[in-house]
Amino acid sequence: MSLAAVLPPRTAARADPGPRPVISFHGVSKTYPNGTQALHDLDLAIHQGDFCFVVGASGSGKTTLVRLLIREEAATTGRIFVDGMETTRMSRRKLPKLRRKFGIVFQDYKLLPRLTVAQNVAFALQVTRPGQRHMKEKVEETLWIVGLEDKLDKFPDELSGGEQQRVAIARALVHRPRIFLADEPTGNLDPDTSWGIVQLLLQINHRGTTVVMATHNREIVDLCRRRVIAIDSGRVVRDEAEGSYLREGEATI
Amino acid sequence: MRRVLASIRFAIVAAVQNFARNFAVSMAGVFTMGLIMVLVGGTLLLSHTVDTILIKAESEADVINVYLQDSLSMRTIADYEQRLRTDPRADDVSFISKDEAVIVSQEEGFSFMQSAIAVAGSNPLPASIKIHARSLADLTQLNSAAVGYPIVDNSAGKPTSYSGNVIPTLQTVIAWTYGVGLVLSAVLAVISLVIIMNTIRTAVYIRRTEIEIMKLVGAGDWFVRWPFILEGMFGGLIAAALGAVIVSLAYRFLLQLANARIYLGITLDGGYLTAMVLILVVVGAGLGGVGSLLGMRRFLHV
Repeated sequence: MSLAAVLPPRTAARADPGPRPVISFHGVSKTYPNGTQALHDLDLAIHQGDFCFVVGASGSGKTTLVRLLIREEAATTGRIFVDGMETTRMSRRKLPKLRRKFGIVFQDYKLLPRLTVAQNVAFALQVTRPGQRHMKEKVEETLWIVGLEDKLDKFPDELSGGEQQRVAIARALVHRPRIFLADEPTGNLDPDTSWGIVQLLLQINHRGTTVVMATHNREIVDLCRRRVIAIDSGRVVRDEAEGSYLREGEATI
Repeated sequence: MRRVLASIRFAIVAAVQNFARNFAVSMAGVFTMGLIMVLVGGTLLLSHTVDTILIKAESEADVINVYLQDSLSMRTIADYEQRLRTDPRADDVSFISKDEAVIVSQEEGFSFMQSAIAVAGSNPLPASIKIHARSLADLTQLNSAAVGYPIVDNSAGKPTSYSGNVIPTLQTVIAWTYGVGLVLSAVLAVISLVIIMNTIRTAVYIRRTEIEIMKLVGAGDWFVRWPFILEGMFGGLIAAALGAVIVSLAYRFLLQLANARIYLGITLDGGYLTAMVLILVVVGAGLGGVGSLLGMRRFLHV
């Protein structure tokens, strides 16, 4: 089985982004009930097939941006569009439809310890597409993509950190999302393992899935030379097509 | 259809798993709720028993049994009966012989009567004339008229079964029984609700990561809720079954005991017992489901 056979077909979107971005923020601000203003008048457009890093210091607003994207939080002002859906005025009833467009991974993996690797991945399908045919094949196929085809029956605590993150990636990928969202996916991993995870995300992106990755990992950002959106104090301070973690000549962010 | 069946299967499996993983807390809740179900069932049966006794008394309140002396000729009795029939205040008059009195008393629960007669060698029960009054207001006068004949047996100091007009008192007692039963059941239902809410809150807390993942991958609110609602309903059903078994056994035992010691004149009401079990099951499952919904409401805004 080749990777090309199981990953979504690569689209031409990266060469020609087209008129409508898959994610767009228009004048978005977010103020939490305690008065903290996490984002200020943010404008942003991410096109289908993009791979972009969102970088910034702790508290800069990266996580708020991720939470707004999946509507875990609602924007205070402004409008956010995801794949043509306006999320800012979306009712709770429509949230599942929005969230199914995303595959999401976090720093802490969020695996279910009582389920095996295969069951953890299948869980996402059981929940979003109950009764789907060929579930077992889809799960095995996805675990093959992330390189864990020989760990189907292992439990999360029998795996290394990197392997656990791969399971989380498989779970996020199994329903073939349009957008892959990774919030500090390498935060708990050593440099070699982190690089393996990022290579996996690059492979996923290579087949056309949009990848947005919030990270602190300077080495990875610098090595990849992909789009970098730098956020500081809730504002986009830099947006470069092939950027690095720090601005030229900048000592720290 | 396939999706719906798969969703139902997921909800049932998850509910059973929840219950099993959360077994100690679940069973603590079930036992407490089971005790409450015993109280609810006990209250229902107690008020039903009191009602049965009172309603029976009420239905017999328009009846006066005039006890007759032994060894009267049939003609004397027939004359007396005829006179009473002509009384405009009497609706129906009938004669109950000594033998019939034994049968009636056996029907009313005195099963030992036949053997008592065999031991005593003679039937101690008097023959009587049973008078149905047209109006409860005439009872006192009718009673006075009936006892004014020499054939009436006054040897025991109680020539008739009449003991004053008890209807208003009975009606008050019935109303109070209903009222107290209703309030008590409502209070117990609220306590059950709180217990289920807390049990489910613990279950939701234990499964918070799972719920978070379900919401993040795009599960709908009801998809997340149903396993917990079912878990609450399972708990409620088990508690109801527990309560129903205990109350039914206790009811049979106490009724037997009561009928053996004092005369109650009521028998085991199988129909009501079945209805009570059904009420407990429906109330248990309902309280379980509603309690779960209320218990998880706060936690599901992921």
